Amino acid sequence: MATAQKKSSKKEVDIRSMIVEKYQENLLLEGKNPASVYAFCKDLNITETDFYAHFNDFGQVAAAFWMELFHKNIKALKGSPEWEEFRTREKLLSFYFSFFEQLKSNRSYVLLVLDHKMFNLKKGSSDLSELKDAFKNWLNQILNEGRSREEIAGRSKFNDIYDDLFWYQFLFLMDFWRKDKSLGFESTDEAIEKSVNFSFDLIEKNAIDSAFDFGKFIFQNR
Amino acid sequence: MKEQDKIYSSRSQRTGKFITTGAKIGRNYLKHYSKRLISGEDNQDALQEKNAEDVYDALSNLKGSALKVAQMLSMDQGLLPQAYTTKFAQAQYSAPPLSYPLVVKTFQQHFKKTPGEIFDEFSRNSVAAASIGQVHKAKLDGKNLAIKIQYPGVANSIHSDLKMVRPVVGAMFNISQTEISHYLSEVEERLLEETDYQLELKRSREITEACAHIENLEFPKYYEDLSSPKVLTMDWLDGFHLDKFLALNPSQEIRNKIGQTIWDFYDFQIHNLQQVHADPHPGNFLFQEDGRVGVIDFGCVKELQEDFYRKYFQIMRPAISDDDAEFSTLLYQLEFLLKSDKSEEVNHFKEIYKEILELLGRPFFSETFDFSDKSYFEKIYAMSDIFKNDKMVKNAKAGRGPKDAIYLNRTYFGLYSMLHSLGAKVVTTSAVDSLFIENL
Repeated sequence: MATAQKKSSKKEVDIRSMIVEKYQENLLLEGKNPASVYAFCKDLNITETDFYAHFNDFGQVAAAFWMELFHKNIKALKGSPEWEEFRTREKLLSFYFSFFEQLKSNRSYVLLVLDHKMFNLKKGSSDLSELKDAFKNWLNQILNEGRSREEIAGRSKFNDIYDDLFWYQFLFLMDFWRKDKSLGFESTDEAIEKSVNFSFDLIEKNAIDSAFDFGKFIFQNR
Repeated sequence: MKEQDKIYSSRSQRTGKFITTGAKIGRNYLKHYSKRLISGEDNQDALQEKNAEDVYDALSNLKGSALKVAQMLSMDQGLLPQAYTTKFAQAQYSAPPLSYPLVVKTFQQHFKKTPGEIFDEFSRNSVAAASIGQVHKAKLDGKNLAIKIQYPGVANSIHSDLKMVRPVVGAMFNISQTEISHYLSEVEERLLEETDYQLELKRSREITEACAHIENLEFPKYYEDLSSPKVLTMDWLDGFHLDKFLALNPSQEIRNKIGQTIWDFYDFQIHNLQQVHADPHPGNFLFQEDGRVGVIDFGCVKELQEDFYRKYFQIMRPAISDDDAEFSTLLYQLEFLLKSDKSEEVNHFKEIYKEILELLGRPFFSETFDFSDKSYFEKIYAMSDIFKNDKMVKNAKAGRGPKDAIYLNRTYFGLYSMLHSLGAKVVTTSAVDSLFIENL
């Protein structure tokens, strides 16, 4: 019984990633979405029921590409023996480095969708909406860990906007990578290093906190 | 956001990390300093301890190739007193480090494995920084290793770094723009070579094998299978940097022994190998209490062309200037004198070169030379000041001297000042003697 269940769930995963893969291939070759779910399924030799068991439309398929990448990445990171010892700064650096490393093997697809969807920092792309939520969730987790280890300064209300700011950083890096013409995308490595260092110099305990603390003291003791 | 930016910049200035927040702040800072130096009544003031400290503070915040150039110039031009030269040489050993995740990524890219998978132990933080990379310490099969990892994008940034540093440094060290272009084109070539760790590996092996017979000299072994264009793995050498070593008060005997070893090492490279470790700043040497010397970092090697080599050393021959015709010919051939020079310029420059050559060649002209002699080095500093402030030199339209000589001069300058810091008395017999005799 148990094995049978396992088998069927494995098969479902197969169909799911098969759909994502085929969708990508189709987009790369044709430059546009398939004419219909019907045509797409016929091409892939699956039923429409199979398709709708996993996705409601092509938009979700497109989003699934990013989610797979994200989960694969997190899994790989957590598999490294050093992960738990990393400071928050190093965790985010590792995340970016390995994420962009994986993106490399899908560069044409990424260039196509990010161009195609009129990649826009402010509006964002609908492909990326699920990734955005997952990234922000994960980020809040590591930020909270960082706060409990007192690496990151707790700044009451400001805490809530950190995840949005880091999402913009992520988008900025993707855009940077997209336009990067340097050998082996070396410049992206630099951009990651420098932007993460900059942002963590800001959110770690620093002069801002002592200035605020001092100001508060003076105010209260007047 | 704005407010945070502002606070950050003032904080970073305080902690002296301004260059990492952007070249812009750094550039303004440097401009400010160069203006201050220039507006000083007498350029001699720049040599004063107080100003040297300011120069040191400003420059030690540069990074990468800009730091390298500023560092080289400050030494070559004798702008910084000896104490600072040493301090400055080590400034590059505290550049902001590469993050560990990027180190891991670099390893995965080149070896398909993480440092943890390759080595038994690997220091997560860098233990030292070179100008274009950083060094980690690792252990494998009970052996201590030093692993040099290059910063990403260094090769691409060299050209723009040098462009940025040109006007600032030119003004700061009081060198004309023509002179500095002359200088920087050669420097750029060497720096680009330095970014190629494969080449460094090859040269390190060649030179260390050829010099293996020199006593008291130690070289690390290099590991090809653990090296790539961006990663260089070698044995970890023990020892002290120059200033720490001197603080241990080594005996005169040990100082002489070390001085002799270094002299022999350079003499052999220049005259027998005709390629030379052209970066003899104190950071590249590790000294041991028993008088052994370890040499690291063969990133900067200058190969000497036969034709240039012969002319360069012929002009160093004792009493060469007595033979006016030959002296002039050599000066023209080496482009110390230019065809476009007027006769008064020719005579003026000849006088200057005569003095410089006599002074710089002095260690070669006797059996032994005592490098602890302060008055000798004061004369060299005074000479470089006279030369720099000379009206005709300043008004010269073109850079003088062969480009190839830049690194060779540097090598000798570095060698002399290191021997001076050591206070060593050295037997200065040289393989060049045969060249002198041949031409008598």
